[in-house]
Amino acid sequence: MKFKLPFNKKQTPIVIQATKENVEMIIPEENNFTQMIKDATHNPSDLIVKSIPPNLTLIYIKNLVNDQILNDHIITNLQNKIYETPETIKLSLSLPEVNISSQLEETVASLVNGSVLIYVEGYSPVVLANIPKRESRSLSAPENESQVIGAQVGFNESLSTNISLVRRNIVSPDLCNEEFKVGKRSNTSLSLIYMNGIASDEMVNTLRQRIKDLDVDALLDSAVLVEMIDDNSLSPFPQMLLTERPDRFCDGLLNGKLGVIVDGSSMAIVCPQSFIEFFESREDKNLRWQVATFVRLLRFTAIFLSIFLTPIYVGALTFHYEVIPQAFLVPLSESRALVPFPPVFEALLLEFIIELLREAGARLPTKIGQTIGIVGGIVIGTAAVQAGITSNILLIIVALSALASFTTPSYTMGNVIRLIRFPIIILAGFWGFFGIMLAFCFILIHLLRQTSLGAPYMAPFYPPRFQDMRDSLIRMPLPYTAKRPSNVRPADEDKFNPEPIKPEKS
Amino acid sequence: MKKVTFYIIPLFLLSILVGCAETDILDRVGLTTLVGYDVGTEERMSTTVVVREVNPEFQSNVEVITTENETSKGNRMKANRKLSKKITIGQMRVVLFGEELAKDDLHSYLDSLLENPSVSNSLYLAVVEGETSVLLEHEYKNIDDIGQHIYRLMEQNIKYEHMISSTLHEIAHDFYMVGKDSAIPIIKKEGELVELTGVAIFNDGKMVSSLSLEDSFYVKLLRDNFKSGIFETILKEEDIPPNLIKGTSNEMPVAFDAIKSKRELKLVDATTPEFDFQLKLKARLLEIYPDVESGDPKVIERLEDAMVKNLTREISRVIAHCQNVQSDIFGFGEKYRSSVRNSNLSKEKLHDMYKDMKVNIKVEFEILRDGVFE
Repeated sequence: MKFKLPFNKKQTPIVIQATKENVEMIIPEENNFTQMIKDATHNPSDLIVKSIPPNLTLIYIKNLVNDQILNDHIITNLQNKIYETPETIKLSLSLPEVNISSQLEETVASLVNGSVLIYVEGYSPVVLANIPKRESRSLSAPENESQVIGAQVGFNESLSTNISLVRRNIVSPDLCNEEFKVGKRSNTSLSLIYMNGIASDEMVNTLRQRIKDLDVDALLDSAVLVEMIDDNSLSPFPQMLLTERPDRFCDGLLNGKLGVIVDGSSMAIVCPQSFIEFFESREDKNLRWQVATFVRLLRFTAIFLSIFLTPIYVGALTFHYEVIPQAFLVPLSESRALVPFPPVFEALLLEFIIELLREAGARLPTKIGQTIGIVGGIVIGTAAVQAGITSNILLIIVALSALASFTTPSYTMGNVIRLIRFPIIILAGFWGFFGIMLAFCFILIHLLRQTSLGAPYMAPFYPPRFQDMRDSLIRMPLPYTAKRPSNVRPADEDKFNPEPIKPEKS
Repeated sequence: MKKVTFYIIPLFLLSILVGCAETDILDRVGLTTLVGYDVGTEERMSTTVVVREVNPEFQSNVEVITTENETSKGNRMKANRKLSKKITIGQMRVVLFGEELAKDDLHSYLDSLLENPSVSNSLYLAVVEGETSVLLEHEYKNIDDIGQHIYRLMEQNIKYEHMISSTLHEIAHDFYMVGKDSAIPIIKKEGELVELTGVAIFNDGKMVSSLSLEDSFYVKLLRDNFKSGIFETILKEEDIPPNLIKGTSNEMPVAFDAIKSKRELKLVDATTPEFDFQLKLKARLLEIYPDVESGDPKVIERLEDAMVKNLTREISRVIAHCQNVQSDIFGFGEKYRSSVRNSNLSKEKLHDMYKDMKVNIKVEFEILRDGVFE
């Protein structure tokens, strides 16, 4: 198994300094204590120090705590009553998460996490009442992975909401959730989620170790995490799935895959993922198997068209005019007759324009984005043909391959499909079909060498697993797909008893 | 460092080898669709090429150019001097040979066609009655692109089994096979049209005789299996059973279609040699004149007998003609070679033997349906 993590190539043994840092104790004196906290947090303007006579001081950061709970449960409880010790305060507060600590570092960490420090004059331990304010948007439909039939809810940016979505889909005590903090400065929490009894222990250990070994200062999105923890970070092909659909995430978990949800990111990670699975949509499971098979085959055809159609045009027109069918010959050459460029330049130009349109559409606000589509598609397209810069047959081909690349259910994979087209076009312009074949072989060899969390990337075709092929290019009826895919090495192989419920058709 | 060189060397080769590939950009080449070879008046051969050129102004136009030179490559160079675009032959669909040239020898022409990798092996060959240049240079009223027209003409006739197939692949196969000679369709300019008029039969590389269009059906019957052919013949007086006919005429034209045929060739005696040729035919009766009582099974039976007689006679006639001119276009020699051990057959040996070859023909004919079709 490979561990190619660019961020911890020079792994130094972790030196245990815990006892040394934790010894800094809180001094039981009011002024000094406040000053210590202010120093430790560099005296931010939203740090509130509120004293409640006779002997209590509350310290909290205004934007991190829930004001309502603070008013209703803490201030009203503490006012006009006399508490002697931190223990009595802890007992009197009707809050779920109240701790007592006398160590400065723990106290400050708790403060920035949304705690209210309750300091009792003359005592070293302080009460930490954790009442964080969670800013999160409401749940909405997944925008990048929409589907017609199926659940219309997507993950949002809050870790706890996302986990609750998962827990609502899989109601089981076997659903394991391990929390990690990643990033020295950002202290981002993330959850490793898997099904105990289905997921392979070895893979859980591998992923846990990869996350723990991360030595980064900040982690702002799960897509960054994927690039740091996948098997080959230098490959353009993603080896872990990024999804914003809870049902797709849970489907992975139930198949024995592992999931990672990062706080602050609406995309969850599913791994191990094989190449072919990037082109499978959750909706395929919701459709009848004949329809699902048709849609999948359509999608795979689209991908081949998307990658090879423009290069074949370039190759055929530059070198292999022999292979053009006679019926195409006249329309092709007549539409090319006005074009002053060689086919490779013509194709690159048009692909470049299409990519520009896509990028502009993605960056612009939604309302202007639609205008860009019309301007690009109709105005530039027809104008380019009339000006004689491109042939209209190539315009159709390029538009078709752009359209086909958007059928990929995974956006990250769709990007790769669009990217690898460019070197193939250039090679087709250099050497014709030989160049296309060279590129194809290169890509194939590259794909065969990839792994995803140690599992073969081209499964179930290489290594051939006929059982798993039933749910890859095609989707067989449910009774035939009762086994979990073998490349995740599931602890429990059977999803359900494959015998039909109605044994005899009456 | 090793890894770096591992990547850099292919990249370096990649960048310098780019210049080595010769481009043929579609709209910058003249596409030859048809080539005709004739015997030259001053030099060895005369070549007529039909070239399609694409120009932005004229959309596309077809040029017919005749040149004379010693070799076909020399002719191409000469033709290039008359055209604005480089001549390429990758889209060539038909090759025509003048009659005089075909009677001389086709071997070298076939060789040069086969040896060129950009020449398709599925192009059609045909012999032109008279000169190819006359056929091609004529300004036809209704034919825009003569190259395309002749290709379509041959394609549809071969596809619907009106004519024997003559792709370069098949002809070359027959030429280089010891036990067989080839047969190529003949075309002719007929006023403002081009017409298929018969089959040229060859002895080795030389055209020795020709068969009429009617006989080409029998040639195809003897060489290949029909899947759904169409056929018309005239039953002569001696074929017709006395009680079949009502009127006074002594000839009966009949037409069949959806013909299915199966042939079986057996060597029964290696010394003469003697062959048994069995032919099974199934067909639909389309037309018959004068009308017969086609609902009566007995009449149909008599008609079948009459057809068997007619076919046997016609086939024997065709074979006898081919024996006469020493052209084994049916592949009897190949059957002999594959059945007789250590036969050491050569073309000369075959043609000696072929004269005295005996063929017993057995025909079974079955009329499947009759009445109105299509």
